This record gives sequence, C-alpha cells and structure tokens, in this order.
Amino acid sequence: MIPAATRYERASDLDHALELLAEPDAKAIAGGQSLIPVMKLRIARPSVVVDISRLEFRGVDVRGDELHIGPLTTWDELLDVPEFGRPALAAIPECARGIGDLQLRNMGTIGGGLAHADPASDMPAVLLTLGAALELRSPDGERTVPVADFILGPFTSTLADRELITDIAVPTPLPGSGSAYVSVEHPASGFALAGAAALVGPDGGARVAVTGIAGRPFLLAGDDHRTALETADVFGDRFASAEYRRELASVVVRRAVERASQRAKEDS
Amino acid sequence: MSEPYIGVSRPRVDAPDKVTGATRYAADGYVHGLLHARLVLSTEAHARIRAVHREDALAMPGVVAVLVAADLPLATTGTDRTAEPLAREEVVFAGQPVAMVIGETQAAAEDASELVFVELDSLQPVVDLEEAMRPGAALARLVEEAEGGGDLESIHAGVDHGRADADQEQLSGNVLDRVHRTNGDAAAAIDASDSVVSGTFRTPWVYQAYIEPQVSTAWLEPSGTLVVSTSTQGSFVTRSELARAFGLSLDRIRVVAEPLGGAFGGKFALVEPLAAGAALALRRPVRLVLTRREDFQATNPASAQVTHLRVGARKDGTFTGIEARMLVDRGSNAGWGVEGITSSLVAGPYRWQAHDVVGYGIQTNRFTFGAYRAPGAPTAAFALESLLDELAQALGLDPIELRLKNAVVEGDMGIGGNPFPTIGAVEVLEQVRDHPLWAARSTLPDDEGIGVAAGYWPGGNEPAAAVCRVDTDGTMTVVTSAVDMSGVDSGFVVIAAAAFGLSPDKVRVVHADTATGPYAGASGGSKVTYTVGRAVEGAARAARVKVLAAASQELEIAPDDLEVVDGVVRAVGAPGRSITVEELAKKTLRFGGRYEPIEGHGGSAQTVGAPSVAAHLSHVRVDRETGEVELLRHVVAQDVGRALNPALVEGQMRGGAVQGIGWALFEQLDHDEDGHLLTGSFLDYAVPVAERVPEIDTLIVEVPAPDGPFGAKGIGEAPVVAAAPAIANAVAAATGARLHELPMTPARVWRALRS
Repeated sequence: MIPAATRYERASDLDHALELLAEPDAKAIAGGQSLIPVMKLRIARPSVVVDISRLEFRGVDVRGDELHIGPLTTWDELLDVPEFGRPALAAIPECARGIGDLQLRNMGTIGGGLAHADPASDMPAVLLTLGAALELRSPDGERTVPVADFILGPFTSTLADRELITDIAVPTPLPGSGSAYVSVEHPASGFALAGAAALVGPDGGARVAVTGIAGRPFLLAGDDHRTALETADVFGDRFASAEYRRELASVVVRRAVERASQRAKEDS
Repeated sequence: MSEPYIGVSRPRVDAPDKVTGATRYAADGYVHGLLHARLVLSTEAHARIRAVHREDALAMPGVVAVLVAADLPLATTGTDRTAEPLAREEVVFAGQPVAMVIGETQAAAEDASELVFVELDSLQPVVDLEEAMRPGAALARLVEEAEGGGDLESIHAGVDHGRADADQEQLSGNVLDRVHRTNGDAAAAIDASDSVVSGTFRTPWVYQAYIEPQVSTAWLEPSGTLVVSTSTQGSFVTRSELARAFGLSLDRIRVVAEPLGGAFGGKFALVEPLAAGAALALRRPVRLVLTRREDFQATNPASAQVTHLRVGARKDGTFTGIEARMLVDRGSNAGWGVEGITSSLVAGPYRWQAHDVVGYGIQTNRFTFGAYRAPGAPTAAFALESLLDELAQALGLDPIELRLKNAVVEGDMGIGGNPFPTIGAVEVLEQVRDHPLWAARSTLPDDEGIGVAAGYWPGGNEPAAAVCRVDTDGTMTVVTSAVDMSGVDSGFVVIAAAAFGLSPDKVRVVHADTATGPYAGASGGSKVTYTVGRAVEGAARAARVKVLAAASQELEIAPDDLEVVDGVVRAVGAPGRSITVEELAKKTLRFGGRYEPIEGHGGSAQTVGAPSVAAHLSHVRVDRETGEVELLRHVVAQDVGRALNPALVEGQMRGGAVQGIGWALFEQLDHDEDGHLLTGSFLDYAVPVAERVPEIDTLIVEVPAPDGPFGAKGIGEAPVVAAAPAIANAVAAATGARLHELPMTPARVWRALRS
C-alpha cells in the first residue's frame, strides 16, 4: 500500500496547472479521495501529481438563470449552500450527505468525483436530472459538455489529458419543481448498488437518472421508467445480480419520484 | 470474606496510553539497522512453482535480498504455515507467500516485489466444499505432508475431540478429519417426534478484521539469541513454533509480545516465521508489516461451513434427537480444524435424548483456516437456533419457553460425554424473557420483528502462573506473560487489589517475555481471566502472607489477627494498631532489611471449564422491496460468572454482539470459481460500522464459576455466538422468510422474500 514514486507540484493558477499537466502521465489532484487510493494500489502511477486544490474554482454562485458550482467545492461545502435549500435543488445536498464519510466529504470535491467517472458514483445522477453542463478548459481553449455526454463508461470520461473541469453549470429549475436522490448502498464501499435522482417539474413530469447499475449513470428515456429499466443493459456481480439491481433501480426510481413530487408542492 | 474493588466499573488501565497515542505497538519500535520485508503472494489458488525469477528485483536500488523457501534455515519439512512460511513447490491458495523481498526501506522492498516473477504451472483449484469431499474429487494438495503440524487446536476450547470411528464412508483425500459423536438412536428418536425440522445452513469465510495488521520484527542478539518482537496472542506458543520451524532450542529464542492492536483469534505464529527466517538468513534485523490487502489475502480467517441439521421434539417441547452433518472448510490448514468444536457445540446448551453428529475437516484451495472469536460456534448456533425457532412455531410454543424447557443445568450430560459444570443457561434465558423488548413483539408495526437465540462457549483451561511484587512506594506490580487482548489487565488489577488489600489505583500490570516471565498460555479460548486471573489471585495472596508476616513482627500481633485494608495492615477489631504496606516495604527492600520481600508467586491448573452462555434479542425492520435489514435494537444477556469490572464486561458483550451482527448481515470473504479473492479490501468486505449498529442493551447475569477468581470466568467469546441467529429469527418474524445462508445481504433477503 505504498504508492510508486511520484513527484508533487502545486499549481498557482489555471495556466500553471495546464502547463504542469503537459508532462506525460501527469495527474491532477484536488481532494485526493479517488486518486490516492488507486495510487496506493498502484493502479495509477502518475509521473507527477499536480495539486490544483488552491485554484479559485470553489464555491457556489448564481449568475442569471444558472447556478454555478466550482469543481473544487467539497462534498461537505455542498451541504449548507443557501440556494440548495430550495426543494427543487434538495437532491444536491441530499446526495452529498450520503457520500463516503465525514473525512471524505471534508476533502473530496465534486469535480474530482466527476472526473473519476466511477459508474456507481452518486452525484452524476443528480446532475443528469438537473441538466447540468461542465465547462472544460485546456491549452486549446474552452468547451462546454453536458454531463450526459461527459461520462463515457466505467472510469472513462471525455476529459482530455491536459484539460480541467472549471465550472459546473446547473439551470435553475422552474418554480414548483422538486428533486430527490434515493439509493441503496453497498455496505462496504458505500457506492450505490442502485441510485436514482428525480426532478419533478410544476407540470408533474419527471426527469430521472439512475446510477450504480450500468457502465455509467444515465437518464431514463420517456415517462415509463419501468420499461426503460427493463431494456437497460444492467451490470451484475456476485454481491448483487443484474436482476436484483434492475429491481432495486425501479424501487429507488419510484421512491425518488415520489419524494421529488412531494417537494415540488413545497417549492416556489 | 469481603471483596472490595470487585464489581466496580472503572476505566481500562491501558486506555490513557492508547487514546493519547503513547502505546508502542509492534510496528513502532526503533531497531538499529532494520530491514523491511515485503511479500510476493501467489496469484493462483493451486499451482506448482516452476521458478521464481528474482534478478530484476535484486537489481533495484535498496534491495538487500529476495528470499524463497530454500533460503530460510528451516529445520522441518511440514506443510503448515510455521514449517512452510514460504511455499516450497506447490501453492495451495491465492495469496500464499511465495517469496520475500528485503529492502533498506519499505518502499524499496515494495517497488522490487513487483519485479519478482513467479512462474507457476496451474493445477486444478478445489474451491467447492461439498464437491471437495466426494470420492474422486481433485485434491487441493498434491505434495504429501511429511510430518504433523503444531498444537494450536488445544488453545481454543476445552472440548473433547470425539472419536475417529471405524464406520466407513467413501470420502476423498481432501477430508483430513472426521469427528463422529453418537448416543442412542438419534434417527429413531427424531422420527418418533411430534415435530421435526431440518435444514442446510451455509456460512462464509469471515475475516477477523483486527485494526492492526499482522506485524513481526526479528533480530539476532550478539550472543546469537533470536529475538522476535511481535503482535501475537501468545508468546510461549510462538516460541515453540519458531523452535520447531528452525530447529532452535528454547533458550535461543526470546519472544516479546507487544501491545496488541486486535487479533480475535488470528494472531498465532503466522508471520513470525517469515520475519525470523529472514533475520536468521541475513543475520540482520527484519520487520514484516502486512498491508491490509496482504492481511486479507495471506492470513487465516474463519472457516466457511455447511451444516445439515435435523432435530425433533415432543408436543410438550421436550427435545428428542439431533442429527448433524457439518462440513468445515480448512483451506490449506492440515494441522487442525474446527470440525471437533463445531460438532460439539451444535447441540447448544440443551438436553437431547439421542444424538448423531459428524464433523468433517476438508481441505480446499482457499486461505489457511484460523481461529476467530468462538471458532465453530456462531456457525453451529446459526443452524441450531434457526431450527429451534421453526420448532417453536410448529409446536405453537413460545421460543424462549421452548429453550428454557430444555436448557442444561449443572450435571446434565453434554454430547461430548462430559457433564456440564455450573452454567447459567436458564438464568440468561429468563433475563431476555423478562426484558420489555420481548413483551413488545406482539405490538410491532408491519415488517418489524423480534428474534431470540442463545449460545455458549465452553471456556478453556491451561495452567498458568503470575507474580505480584510490592515496591517501596507501596504500589504493586503484577507480572504476567498473558497478552492483553480483551482488557484482561484491568481484570488482573482488581483481582490483585482485592486479594491483597490494596487500592486498584496502586496496582499496575507489566508484561514479561518468554525469557523473563511466569508461564501463561496464549490469549484465546476465553480462559485468561479464569486461569491467569486465578494465578494472579494466588500471587497476590502469597504476597499478602509476606506482608502479614512482616507486620506481625512489627506490631507484635499474630498474622491471623491482622487484616490488610486499602494498603494498611491493622489488627482485626483494633484498627488503631496498624502499619502501612508502604512502610513495611521500605523495611524489607533495603540493605540489612529484616523481612522477605513482599512478593508472591501464584499458579493455577483448573480441570473443570467455566462455560458462558449468552442470549440475544434482536429487533429488526425489513425493507421488503430492497431486502435491506435495519437493526433497531439488540439485547444481550450473558452469564459472566462474576463481573470484575462491569464496564469491561459490557464492552466485551457489545463487541461480541457487534461481530455477531457482522456474521449476520455483512461479512463474507468470497472467491471466484478459480479461487481468486474477490473481497480483498474494506471496499468490498463489509463490517458493521458504527452507523449500522443499534443501541445494544447489556444484561449481566452472575452465576459464579466455582474455580474462577472471585467467581469470574472468561467471557470474550460467548457473546458472539448467537447474535446472528437472533437476527435471522427476527427477519423471519418480520417477514416469514427464513434465511439459510449468512450474511443476510439485501440481495439474499430480497430473493428469500420472493421464493
């Protein structure tokens, strides 16, 4: 459990970070809650870890009809953001509260979690239902990618080697919306065996995303969630079969929609 | 006789150092010139070693050596983990140590260990326990064992081993042991019963999950003595195992048991032969600290087990016969298995008219079996106590009344053929019967249930000795070689204080090593307080004789007319005529002193065990849609003999219950069909973390052990035994679904609710 030898550099600003990341096999590190464990297992052997934790992309603010979450915001910091007090955005702190333990939430960042692209991670499901988009920056410039197009598969994203997430933009839900996140966790890892996020609009329509059951979190197409799950390509293992995960998913989807609908009534 | 200090809750004596980080554990000690070992583990479950290529590793900076079995100065050819710390020609489980890289730093050793290439010729892995015992099954080990293993079984429990009878059964060579116990015609007794229940129960390999991974440091003194500073449950057994491994005389080995960071049965001479072998081969100090991953893969967890069980009862609830067929997975452990213990404990603390019980110890290519808190008992209790619940239901009887009707009392015959000594089975069952939670079971919301179960641990015996010494400041030092695994030091303090007549604040415990200490066996089998505690009591009383003799001279009063109260020797009935222990000690420990030092040596050799019974109530809520089981409340009532320090006793009861909750709901070491470990980290292997453990009520029941110190007995193992069946019975009460396999994961509960 000793990582392979590596170097450490602290980036002073974005340009510096991108410059340091030019080195082959460089890895950006913020909270280190995903990277350090895989380095200890020597699954990751970066030549240099580039510490981006001091960059400015931290905190939540409202600009126009969007909320902007800095990717360096820790899970813990997501718990008491005034804007997330709205029932329409309740899924964000509800989800963050269930991630890891207190130590992890104090260090781990929302951007790091997204970049790691764990197929069972919780927050991507919430961001999918909220229709969030990521701003990515590299020496070649800037691009915006919807969360739905960002995670490609297990631990694989569209993020390029010399590219960093610099913003997470969440469209402000319509008044009278409600959101919720419900999951059943693996008792050891705490990752979702099946997790569901729902956003219910003022018209009662629900947008639902699930995580933990497939190669990546995904939005359920259409209004008939049960049928959408029946046709999904669901993953299974010795702890939880595909059949069981599919059933769990339908349970958490229903519960998330019910809870989000309740919340929609309280939202203004 | 008055017994001051006994039965008062007080903080653990080791707590201040542990919570402030002052305790120095086995990995902490500074050793000049220390080298670090890193293991290379087998990647296959069963294979022949063709070659170990070490050139690339040796070329790395900071690498001192890459050792294989032939490099260790082993004096024996056995195939147990002491005799074969590194695999010689055949690997028999994935994770078995094959080579050891020795570096100037841990990092250098770890870097180089990746470059050691072990060339293996695959052999058929034997991973299915039931398949393994069938005649003609592939063998899990092809190389014959040349000689027997060590004597580790006797450490754990004072049960007889049944008889290796002559009745013939066709079995494969993987069946290393068959223990058969019969009395009367069990089949006929069951068939003639008013109600009969049966089932097959499965339990997985379970990891001890101690906080401190296995660690050992070894070096040679200039005189040539091998010193091993280590995290172990027993210093003397480690010394004898090392003597066997390396052909050394006992006086050439000194084992120092350092403060233990948890063990639960798993730390018995497993890593010491590796560190010692490297130190002997290189003649330099070597430390081996297992990583958590290595500790998962390469150590000795509790056996998987399959139990086929059938029991019967008459209409009035009287138990008739019990039939059991118990398959115990030993993995690669040819030395011993729990088939003897589990097939004795499957009868529970109950009377049976007839029994026919057989246990099989079967080798497979999974791990090396080792002990884990009450080895063989939770698996047996899960089967029996689940069936007793079904029996109660079938007969329309209250589950506790059914158990009470059949609970053993002193003198009842156990299925091992020995009568039960003093035992509190009835008393603990009455305690849980009278608990408000049991009364609440008829008024529960939907999907909630309350279950009950009971189990016992027979308790072990082993002769032990101890020394008590009073210093010139009037304080007492208890010298012991017993390892404090569960808080026994704090028990010794009050035993010595009460037996001598000194405040516990003035008593401390120090740990001696195999070169300096009085004898104490390994900490295991729930025997330390019972046996070593008895020796401490004797040592304190012997020291008291010395202090009375000195005081008698000083006060000119006959010893029989004196008493020792709180560090003062005084005349009975005339407390004004007195002298302090401190003053007397000052008069003895000096040049020209007149009295013998105030020291005592005590010994014990009990021949009758002190079984402890624990009964559990568990209250659960089951999510029928997801299969998740939530524990709402848990109650454990245990016969502890005498609670020397109730706070510690309650801690043991809670700790046992929590590990039982682990058996019930969370813990399983799982392999794929090729024998590769799938759950080799705490990301995959679940333990009952604090947020998943409910409030646990502890009910201390005191039925004094006749031969224990102040009536105390060993209490560490009993509380783990029946926690899982209590939870299983609660799940059944909540849902009607009965689980026959542990742990009761959400997926399994979900499946059971659908069948």
